[in-house]
Amino acid sequence: MKEIIQRLKQQFTISNVNQQRVDLTFLSVKKEQAVSLISYLRDFEKFSHLVFLTAVDRVEDIQFQLTYMLHNYNTHQDLGIRVLIDREKAEMASIHHLWKQAGTYQRELKEMFGIDFPGSPRVDESFILEGWDNIPPMRRDFDTKKYSEETYFPRPGRESHDPESYMKSKLYPEGDA
Amino acid sequence: MFTPDRSKYPEIVDGKAVIDLDSGKYLKLWQGPQHPGVTGNMSLELIVCGDEVVDCKTHVGYLHRGFEKLMERRKFIQNFPIVCRICVPEPDTNEYLYAAAVEEVAGIKIPEQAKWLRTLNMEMSRLTSYLMWIGGHAGAFGLGPIGQWAVTHRDYMLDLFEEWTGGRVYHMYMIPGGVRNILPDGFDRRLEDTLQKIEKLMSEIEKVMLNNAVFKMRAVGLGIITKDMIDRYGVVGPIARAAGMKRDVRKNSPYLMYEHLDFDIITGTKSDAYERLLVRFREMFQSIDLIRQIMKYIDNSKNIHTKLPNVLHWKIPAGETYVKAESTRGEYGYFVVTDGSELPRRVYVRGPSYSHAVALLEDLIINVNIADVAGLMTSLHTYPPEIER
Amino acid sequence: MSLKDILSPFYVWKRAFEKPYTTANPLTDRPGAPRYRGFHDNDMEKCIGCGTCADICQNAAIDMVPVEGIQTSKEDSGLRPKIDYGRCCWCALCVDICTTNSLNMTREYTWVDTDPDKFRILAGAQENFWTGKETGYKLGEGYKLLDHDRITMPMVDPKEGIKSFIELVKGYSKEQAIKEADRCVQCGLCIATCPAHMDIPNYIKAIREDNIPEAVRILYETNPMSATCGRICTHRCEEVCSIGVNGDPIAIRWLKRYIIDQVDRKEIAKILRNEFKPNGKKVAVIGAGPAGLSAAYYLTTVGYSVTIFETNEKAGGMVRYGIPEYRMPYEQLDKDIDAILDMGVELKTGVEIGVTESFDDIYKNYDAVFLSVGLQDSYSLSITGEHLPGVIPGIQLLDDVTKGQIPDLGKKVIVIGGGNTAMDAARTARRLAANVTILYRRREEDMPADQEEIEEAKREGVKFITRAIPVHIDLGENKKIILHWNKAEMLDQGPGKRPKPVLIVGEAYTEAVDTVISAIGQSPIYKLLPEEIGSQIKFKREKVITDKYGQTSLPKIFAGGDIVNDIADAISAIADGHRAAQGIDLYLSKQVKVK
Ligand SMILES: Cc1cc2nc3c(=O)[nH]c(=O)nc-3n(C[C@H](O)[C@H](O)[C@H](O)COP(=O)(O)OP(=O)(O)OC[C@H]3O[C@@H](n4cnc5c(N)ncnc54)[C@H](O)[C@@H]3O)c2cc1C
Ligand code: SF4
Ligand code: SF4
Repeated sequence: MKEIIQRLKQQFTISNVNQQRVDLTFLSVKKEQAVSLISYLRDFEKFSHLVFLTAVDRVEDIQFQLTYMLHNYNTHQDLGIRVLIDREKAEMASIHHLWKQAGTYQRELKEMFGIDFPGSPRVDESFILEGWDNIPPMRRDFDTKKYSEETYFPRPGRESHDPESYMKSKLYPEGDA
Repeated sequence: MFTPDRSKYPEIVDGKAVIDLDSGKYLKLWQGPQHPGVTGNMSLELIVCGDEVVDCKTHVGYLHRGFEKLMERRKFIQNFPIVCRICVPEPDTNEYLYAAAVEEVAGIKIPEQAKWLRTLNMEMSRLTSYLMWIGGHAGAFGLGPIGQWAVTHRDYMLDLFEEWTGGRVYHMYMIPGGVRNILPDGFDRRLEDTLQKIEKLMSEIEKVMLNNAVFKMRAVGLGIITKDMIDRYGVVGPIARAAGMKRDVRKNSPYLMYEHLDFDIITGTKSDAYERLLVRFREMFQSIDLIRQIMKYIDNSKNIHTKLPNVLHWKIPAGETYVKAESTRGEYGYFVVTDGSELPRRVYVRGPSYSHAVALLEDLIINVNIADVAGLMTSLHTYPPEIER
Repeated sequence: MSLKDILSPFYVWKRAFEKPYTTANPLTDRPGAPRYRGFHDNDMEKCIGCGTCADICQNAAIDMVPVEGIQTSKEDSGLRPKIDYGRCCWCALCVDICTTNSLNMTREYTWVDTDPDKFRILAGAQENFWTGKETGYKLGEGYKLLDHDRITMPMVDPKEGIKSFIELVKGYSKEQAIKEADRCVQCGLCIATCPAHMDIPNYIKAIREDNIPEAVRILYETNPMSATCGRICTHRCEEVCSIGVNGDPIAIRWLKRYIIDQVDRKEIAKILRNEFKPNGKKVAVIGAGPAGLSAAYYLTTVGYSVTIFETNEKAGGMVRYGIPEYRMPYEQLDKDIDAILDMGVELKTGVEIGVTESFDDIYKNYDAVFLSVGLQDSYSLSITGEHLPGVIPGIQLLDDVTKGQIPDLGKKVIVIGGGNTAMDAARTARRLAANVTILYRRREEDMPADQEEIEEAKREGVKFITRAIPVHIDLGENKKIILHWNKAEMLDQGPGKRPKPVLIVGEAYTEAVDTVISAIGQSPIYKLLPEEIGSQIKFKREKVITDKYGQTSLPKIFAGGDIVNDIADAISAIADGHRAAQGIDLYLSKQVKVK
């Protein structure tokens, strides 16, 4: 893995390399270089398998972190490529030309996080959610609890007590010994 | 390179078939979401010409429960009962991977005996899941009785899980830190009885299904996946092995106690529905063999759980990892990101059907007879919950 | 395609003659496995209503509700889990985490009803078809979620300990404290038992999060003497700790000490930053024991100008002049006191009200008076010879030692009594190189002293003679003192009553010693109160009667501490002081008598 990282460093600006396990490494690359880095890994470093592509909402930094997980079947190494993109203008170059299933991942990311991949097949078609009219639900600022409270209604009749305050009310109501 | 034969289309514009439903040549058919020939709750939007499929779109969304989102709102321990629910026929893979990922980011080592019990659980779960699959696969080709036999035998396996873990379908056994209990008394005997029943069943299935002229005529040559498609479509598991790829996470990236077990990767060559059945069929025997091997290492007197920090306020330092295991459908994985709080920042569940049931199926299905669509799907062994978690 | 492939499938017909797999009547013939996770069962007697089960449930399936017939008490919230089977996912995490192991599951799993509300079940409190059926899932072998083992406290070796008065308990390191704090399930059951109702779960949480300023702030909300209480508190909170049901209770007292050990006087002052505006009213506090100090602190934080009058040279009361230094180092007590004085409290020492200054003057010059003079007298043994030289009260010994007037006890010492004063006197005598025996009327299990005090005394070589009633004291040869005592037997006094020790005639013993220390209890001295005031204050068996805010029958006089409460420990005195401060504030700001 070290040699590959060395080779990558010659061509790309990579950072935050973290060898999590002997067979799993993460690294970060700039958005602009991401697709060419991934193509390079696929075509020249035998990372022929796209394991998954997903996002993490780094809402506090106003960024999305995309993670492209690639696998090399010869060395059995997993390599996670992190790419930070702007959360406000969430857009990323598509890799559907590299792997057939990439389009599905990108379509899901568009729907669940609101990240656009221009040119990716059927990227605007709804994937899981039909008729969704709220913010993309996997974003951190989508509050599932609030949504369900507003959309559905609880069965009436439930009540619960917190032992501490219940004991207070029973044993030493305000000011009592 | 594989491209579906679209010669029957009237016109291809920009590489896309232009289908005019008003022409009277085509019919739009929905297979699913309520259809015995569809695996689970998903549907295929088929365009057929005569009895052949000329176009297909996979639709999911019928069973989205938002697991990944739910998990971001729950403490690490509280996700333990959730993850198994992602997949009914094979919940254990989820349990193991979630526990393993959390243990890795939290820096917790689990006792060796817990690893053996987990390995046992994983192989029993594989066998159980394959039993359900082979029943469904047989059903898709009209071999109803096999479905009943297989599901009964799956139930025998569930009986074992029930007495071991307290639950039939959702075992909730592989808790972070190890496992929740030792084996009950006499379990080994009852397990062996069941394994023998299954072996007998397998020999019957061989007679009735594998050596069945009608079945062979339909399955041989159905849904051939060429080698060059494997990586392009992200194909893994038995489907890749039936195409001759020596790929099995248990062997290639050993986890739990697999490196101490004696087994080989089972492969095929012809890469059609029949070959995939053969690979899985042999893997069922392999699982039975592995279970017997594992049982030799089980020792109820040994430690099975590492004490966790208080789970009610367990915080895990910021980190990320990806862990994977070989499920019956191939590489299954959990990508977990933590941020130092009591809740995970992100849990991403990677299942093989994500590519098998969408990108792969949509192309593979072209020119298939509608009567074989169900058989093709079951030969890909797709589970929709892996697509929408 | 071979002929075999055509014939082989006909094998399927063979099955037609076999026994079917199905069970005839699955609803009655198929009980769940012995570990089955079926409907819950809860042992109502064992459950303490801690609500930990409700906390862990990821489905919010559990409500904590009152149950008829179950009383709220200090060790039981009186609540019980009610499970909503519309939400439960049968994970049994609630069973795994249950602090008392009262919660289990049954093997029952089929139940049909048309009324969805029926599926909310008070497991164990309500008759169901599974009531009394066999238990299914319970906590597995070799696995548990709770940590039952307390982090061991580093202690000075007893052999070293008795050579001097150094503090025995060394205190937790940060790592140890955080680990110990992690064991807490934050049920809050302990709060009711703490006389000051300290917010224990939250200061423990602050330790876990390594937020010491927050922890200090929480402590001072209800207790301005945590360096003291973190060492010598009677810690009855630990007796009701839910983790203590099946394991070692959380070391609440030592965690409190840990917090305050992390900060010095300056830091405390910075954290507390008093932003009160003086309101121009004056309050006098008589007696600088824990009660007086606490009242002064809380009154100052709301703007009163407070003066404490104290006979002794230093503040602290019995905590300084009673409790020995190896348990309560003076500089730690000073830390608490200094922090209180830093808030602007005025302390006048060497002033004995009723002697050097008259009570009337104070009564006139101040808007309110808080009386906290403690128990300064010691109960007499009421046997002949108790006034002989060489027979001394325990608190006298402790007082002398604190003041540096080390008495000569001789080689052999007997301490009479079974409370903490007896233990303190005995262990102090050990440190003055005497051989010490404790003589107690009842059995060891009847001793009012803390169990750990008794054990530590034993470890330090103190001998115990129990069921021994002193009869009289003589002077022997060589200035020896002869103590005559008699063996006693315990007579049952009926249910709910303490058995009574009764002399066994004929079983008389004598013991020749150098010193006899009597430590059977203390009593108050009210001679500071002038007749016309004393007669207006109501008493009951030597204790001043007050309302819940410490107000006596004379509205301007409030009282607290050992002269009021029956528990007579430091934390009760502190709680009294706090409540009296609230009472005085209510009284002076509204001029109403609160009842
Ligand atoms: C030996 C011993 C060991 C103990 N061990 C523990 C223990 O481990 N844990 C625990 O919680 N409690 C313990 N206690 C009890 C605890 O010390 C008392 O409950 C507590 O100090 C009571 O506080 P107080 O403020 O009511 O009275 P005190 O602490 O007794 O304070 C009263 C103060 O008033 C002063 N005073 C009295 N009369 C006058 C006057 N006329 N004018 C001016 N000042 C006056 C006294 O000098 C004294 O300083 C122990 C007590 C003793 C005697
Ligand atoms: S079994 Fe699980 S889901 Fe059910 S009440 Fe207990 S913790 Fe909640
Ligand atoms: S955790 Fe156990 S003891 Fe506590 S309330 Fe629940 S059932 Fe009762």
